[in-house]
Amino acid sequence: MMIKLNMNENPYPPPENVLKAAKQGMNNINRYSELEHSNNLIELLASYNNISKERIILSPGSEFILREIVNIFSKDKKLIMINPTFFPALEHAAKTAKKIVKYQISPPKFKLKQKIILDELYEPTLIIIDNPNNPTGKMVLDKSFVEKILQNENVLLLADEAYYEFARHTFIDLIEKYPNLAIARTMDKAFSLAGLRLGYLIAGNYFLTELSDFPRFLPAPTISAAIEALKSYEYVNENIKRIIGERKRVEDELDKLGVEIFPGEANFILIKCKIPNLAKKLRDKGIIIKDLSIDWLDGFYRISIGLPEENDAFLLEIGNIKTSYEPFID
Amino acid sequence: MLKVGLIVNPISGMGGSVGLKGTDGNAYKRAMELGAKQVTPQRAEAALSLIKRNDIYLFVAPGKMGEDYIKKFNFKYKVVGKIDKKTTAEDTKRTAKEMMEEAIDLLVFVGGDGTARDIYDAIGISVPVVAIPSGVKMFSSVFALSPYAAAEMIDSYAKEFIEKEVLDIDEDAFRDNRLAAKLYGYLKVPKTKSLLQGGKEPSTTSKPETENKGEIARYIVENMEKDILYILGPGTTVKSIADELNVNKTLLGVDSVYNKELVGKDLNERGLIKLIKKYKKAKIIVTPIGGNGFIFGRGSKQITPGVLRLVGEDNIIIVSTAGKISKLECLRVDTGDAEVDRRLRKFVKVISGYNEETIVEVK
Repeated sequence: MMIKLNMNENPYPPPENVLKAAKQGMNNINRYSELEHSNNLIELLASYNNISKERIILSPGSEFILREIVNIFSKDKKLIMINPTFFPALEHAAKTAKKIVKYQISPPKFKLKQKIILDELYEPTLIIIDNPNNPTGKMVLDKSFVEKILQNENVLLLADEAYYEFARHTFIDLIEKYPNLAIARTMDKAFSLAGLRLGYLIAGNYFLTELSDFPRFLPAPTISAAIEALKSYEYVNENIKRIIGERKRVEDELDKLGVEIFPGEANFILIKCKIPNLAKKLRDKGIIIKDLSIDWLDGFYRISIGLPEENDAFLLEIGNIKTSYEPFID
Repeated sequence: MLKVGLIVNPISGMGGSVGLKGTDGNAYKRAMELGAKQVTPQRAEAALSLIKRNDIYLFVAPGKMGEDYIKKFNFKYKVVGKIDKKTTAEDTKRTAKEMMEEAIDLLVFVGGDGTARDIYDAIGISVPVVAIPSGVKMFSSVFALSPYAAAEMIDSYAKEFIEKEVLDIDEDAFRDNRLAAKLYGYLKVPKTKSLLQGGKEPSTTSKPETENKGEIARYIVENMEKDILYILGPGTTVKSIADELNVNKTLLGVDSVYNKELVGKDLNERGLIKLIKKYKKAKIIVTPIGGNGFIFGRGSKQITPGVLRLVGEDNIIIVSTAGKISKLECLRVDTGDAEVDRRLRKFVKVISGYNEETIVEVK
């Protein structure tokens, strides 16, 4: 059995009541899920986020709605993103956006220079930024910067807060004030529901108007499980705490091993390691991590936080690999 | 069976320990006088000892250029060519060509920038190479990080390749503490691909390089202004712009076009300045060197601080494929003129596709 530390999933399964709800959701799958059921979920999400329920749009995984936003809102606009990023719709964006501008964030701090972005906002623009950023785990936006962006009426900002529950930074309190802000969230990560794909958008007025006809029907098992998961927040919160604790432990251990780490605020760690093909070597030992050198900088890897015993296995193997191969590294 | 050629430059890297900055030309004699020791055997053997695949048939250069280092291993092999006691660059070039006649799949060589240059002269990009670093100067991005990384590249050899730069440093200038370099050519290296991909995260740079270069070229040509001299720097990305214009550009030289016609080929500083003065307004199009990100100061020494001053830092267009720019932490300049460098060090927009720009810092 492979240890999967490459997809930023939650290593803890959902609690029994959530699994039971998902199974119950299977009972009527010859029928479409009921609108009332979706509305129930939306009400719980509104309460969880302390926001009005009209602002919430459900999506089968957040990338579905991200793609829709690119589709609708990037037309005849400049699209600004950062590189690297997790962004599934770039190829598509190239067909609709007037121009694509990628801001390359660099180690060790991976910071955005605000002035460079603000200087770009002289024409209609859609900005999509994940915050914290994947794969660096860094918060690239802060509230005052976001407000400066949003004060430009021609500019739309979509902040992807997929890792919000780990980082605890959000711009949700700006949503009433700025119609040009939208926030993407997911229950894939903190709520342990990756396999059921529940994403949602918290939309400012401008986005809301354009997305009013976005299809609301999600699979019934997904809705049932999500409702139950939102009612089991203590369990969820406990897992978040455990993951953050493990993240700190793994960072400390990697540091002791002499691996360069870039501390972040999500459920993964970015590292730099000179050992060539580290990911393949770990895979040979049954551990899968994300090799970022394929499309990005050489020697960079992303490690999702797993169960304590999975993290131990990873630390043991990376330690062994370092000992065996270090003499050959200049 | 994978047919692999092996050429070792036995004197490469000897200058380092005795304070010389290379062993090209007469510097080798001086290195010997100073008691320099060979370093390539260890590098070659380290790489060979780490190769795991057992379907390799080696075609090796004779004696100290290859054969001497493989006897202790179990490779099947054939010796190619003849050498004298004293070896030179000509031996490297001749042997590489002879190995081509054996229809090798891959050429492994051990050496430095000078050796890479000789290999480029002999085989160009006809056969992929794995370059094991042992030289004193290691500016070329063609080299593997270490003998270990080289062994990995051989083990995971698949028929997918990328071009990497061979940089030629003027060694006489280098020993005199002046760094003068030009892009000498390209070699093709295997793309080491991880076996771990899959799952939901897509690549942001999945477009093939050649398609990406074509898009950049089309974008640049469509936006070229009238009555402006465009100075085209070296490299395949810039060459694709010339191809789009149907202009015959030198791959490694600096050429110029005006109103989409070629007006200068393989220009030096004097030639460039003459053209800039004649046509009044000029723009420079350059691409960074893969791996280190230099836009000026390495690889295009013809574009001197004098040329850059005349053109002005706001008239520089940087182009790069999305794949190449994504693998750079920053762009770099080192023109030798502190004031010019200071003006160039800022955030710039690199054209990385049709209607696509990447903002990156020049350091």
